[in-house]
Amino acid sequence: MKITEDIIRKITLETIEELGLGATKDEIKNAVRSKIETMNVDNIDLKNKSLDSGRVILTSFGLNKPGIVAAVTKALAENGCDILDLSQKIMGDFFTMIMIIDITASPKDLSEVQSEMQKVAEDLKIKIYLQHEDVFRFMHRI
Amino acid sequence: MQYEFEEILETIRMTEIEHFDIRTVTMGISLRDCSDRNIKVTCQKIYDKIIRYGKNHVKYAKEIEAQYGISIANKRVSVTPISIPFDSCKEEEFVEIARTLDKAAADIGIDYIAGYSALVQKGMTNGERELINSIPLALASTKRVCSSVNVASTKTGINIDAVRLMAEAIKKTAELTKDHDSIGCAKLVVFANAVEDNPFVAGAFHGVSEPEVVLNVGISGPGVVLDAIREAGRVDLQQLAEVIKKTIFKITRAGELIGRKVAEKNGIPFGIVDISLAPTPAEGDSIGDILKAMGLEDVGAPGTTAALAMLNDAVKKAGLMASSSVGGLSGAFIPVSEDMGMIRAVQNGNLTLEKLEAMTAVCSVGLDMIAIPGDTPVETIAGIIADESAIGVINDKTTAVRIIPAFGKVVGDFVDYGGLLGKAPVMEVKKLCSSGFINRGGRIPAPMRSLTN
Repeated sequence: MKITEDIIRKITLETIEELGLGATKDEIKNAVRSKIETMNVDNIDLKNKSLDSGRVILTSFGLNKPGIVAAVTKALAENGCDILDLSQKIMGDFFTMIMIIDITASPKDLSEVQSEMQKVAEDLKIKIYLQHEDVFRFMHRI
Repeated sequence: MQYEFEEILETIRMTEIEHFDIRTVTMGISLRDCSDRNIKVTCQKIYDKIIRYGKNHVKYAKEIEAQYGISIANKRVSVTPISIPFDSCKEEEFVEIARTLDKAAADIGIDYIAGYSALVQKGMTNGERELINSIPLALASTKRVCSSVNVASTKTGINIDAVRLMAEAIKKTAELTKDHDSIGCAKLVVFANAVEDNPFVAGAFHGVSEPEVVLNVGISGPGVVLDAIREAGRVDLQQLAEVIKKTIFKITRAGELIGRKVAEKNGIPFGIVDISLAPTPAEGDSIGDILKAMGLEDVGAPGTTAALAMLNDAVKKAGLMASSSVGGLSGAFIPVSEDMGMIRAVQNGNLTLEKLEAMTAVCSVGLDMIAIPGDTPVETIAGIIADESAIGVINDKTTAVRIIPAFGKVVGDFVDYGGLLGKAPVMEVKKLCSSGFINRGGRIPAPMRSLTN
């Protein structure tokens, strides 16, 4: 779960209110930890509607050859990205592959993952694009 | 899959092959609290305020570009029409303000800042007259400042005194920037029924009913529409309109997403999405080419006005379905210098000033980026502005004139600005005299449709 600034601020304010100004560091630390553990995901969704999903669409295409899927999925795994769905089509000598991945658990943000995948694309001489899923949701769903 | 394979590929094709991008995210900033009796204090307040709100504008927009994979071609700023909060200034003080705007724009890293403007559709204050008189020098001594003046509205008619004054300002601006193909005129727009939330410079300003600060977005996408039309093949016009609508719907949805995200990152309100199809000189990004794909041999053929009317109507219908925040100018732009298809049509002698004027009756936003001979008389330019204003006023729509009497140039010559401003062939203008009419002065009264109570 990604901790946003809003959540941190909310936890901080609640903790201060509960413990008062005389709280020791240890008391604060323990209170924050227990608050995080008991935090309800549904509450987060309701109170932080602007919290973006970590879902990203990876689109890739180019000349088909062995090892492309392996290289792409290996790089994604190394960057802590979870593959939710994968679809591929081969037309003659060309492949097109689309993945839905989740980068929530990744230690890297989207632009860093994009940089990593760009290196893979250059090595394999294929095209790889990563875009937050909202582009597709906004364009193709009402 | 949650998304169809084809849907994802369609979006990728739009952004990577068909040049779909967000033409501009424009931050509107109010300067109404920056007035002071001391011009130096005024300028400092203006500068500080633009920097305060705008310092992360470019950075945040770039982050959103990367996250969603859609380019934002321009990050710009518009401000309160300068004549309004600074009405006590004199001509030279207005020029000082223009230089301040120029510096602030440079320091936040944007190429244009708009709003060096006055709204004089019924009459003008002393300050407004001073600002208008200052426009030529202001544009000649800055790089990034854009100016616009509203000379007419459906409610008040056409202020012919202002029209003539603006024609003089245009001629003077052309002369003062003659060393750069009269580029100052490319940043100067004369409006009828100007809108308060236009995100497209050069004619943008942050209207007095707008909030303290706001983020407006202007989409684009002629290339996407062009490919959709070609792919539709031989269908009747009703079906073709449907194809255009469906395409515009999708890109409007994407445009609003981007605009809202940029606003969110800046911590400011989202304003409007302007759904205009705005071309660039790049190949495949042309309204002219769309009209040809619809079946015209060239722009300027009989049928051009009708084709453009249908295109514009489809754009509006799709935009309204896609968003509850449609605003600005929202239509198809037909600038000559910024559209390769239009440039070729003029060069081939197929597109005249008169046909362009007819086309402006059914599209946004008017006569745009048109180069005319440098020796065109002031009264003739005023006549062109009056005609264009009449189209706007009578039909209760926004029209504008951005016209370049290219100093020292004649029909067949070119003005060349590079980049998004493009290049334009110098077009022929009728030599018939309008001076008797223009020099009567006064105001053409508001039309019947102004009585809406």
